[in-house]
Amino acid sequence: MEDEAARGGETFDPDLIRAIFKLVWSRRGERGGGGGDAGDEVIEVEPAPETSRRNRSATANASALKVSCELLRIFVTEAVQRSAFIAEAEGTTTIEPTHLERVLPQLLLDF
Amino acid sequence: MDAEMDLLADDDGGEAERLEAAEAQADLLRDRLRLAVISIATSEGKKAGMEVSDPVVACIADLAYKTVEQLAKDVELFAQHAGRKSIKMEDVILTAHRNEHLMGLLRTFSQELKGKEPSSERKRKKSSKKDDNVMSSALRDD
Repeated sequence: MEDEAARGGETFDPDLIRAIFKLVWSRRGERGGGGGDAGDEVIEVEPAPETSRRNRSATANASALKVSCELLRIFVTEAVQRSAFIAEAEGTTTIEPTHLERVLPQLLLDF
Repeated sequence: MDAEMDLLADDDGGEAERLEAAEAQADLLRDRLRLAVISIATSEGKKAGMEVSDPVVACIADLAYKTVEQLAKDVELFAQHAGRKSIKMEDVILTAHRNEHLMGLLRTFSQELKGKEPSSERKRKKSSKKDDNVMSSALRDD
């Protein structure tokens, strides 16, 4: 894979990704992990204490955050490159929402 | 009775405030992510000789945020399944298991990261061993 200099140094901030992760985990902790089907009988209103504790104490490794940033960078890059390919085929120099719409289904399947 | 009602009202107010604060934080993070997406999308557009319109950038930013949210849920469940409380690189790589090419890219990137890290760690370990030897010899002399 190309190094950061070749990429132009453009990537996401691991601290930002960590903050979003923490926000999602805290929400999941409050909801009790979001388990159970709609048809299941609700026995307890409060989530199990161990579940919420586990969600609260979830931590992300520094290297795991960097890989997450790279995954996200690839996602954004692919979205632009695929849209640019469609725009080029149509003979325009601006990527419009219609170009993104055409690549979106496959893009979301790939990620 | 009125006092109880007031207490309940206070609890609801506290809960509402907490929810508002969480929403405000989410909006702030979404905006920060959007700025990063604008930067990356613009540079990628330039490389392709294209201009990226604002609605496209906004849409990609929104998709990126949803992707991060989904990623957060997935990696937490993978780590939980492995009986861990900390998320490792392998958990993130595992989220891309449906796309072999993407998984390969992430594996290569993780190997690069591993390649960068150990040299400094090895130095640290060596120096600590030296320190241990010095300490043990000093103790023996005493």
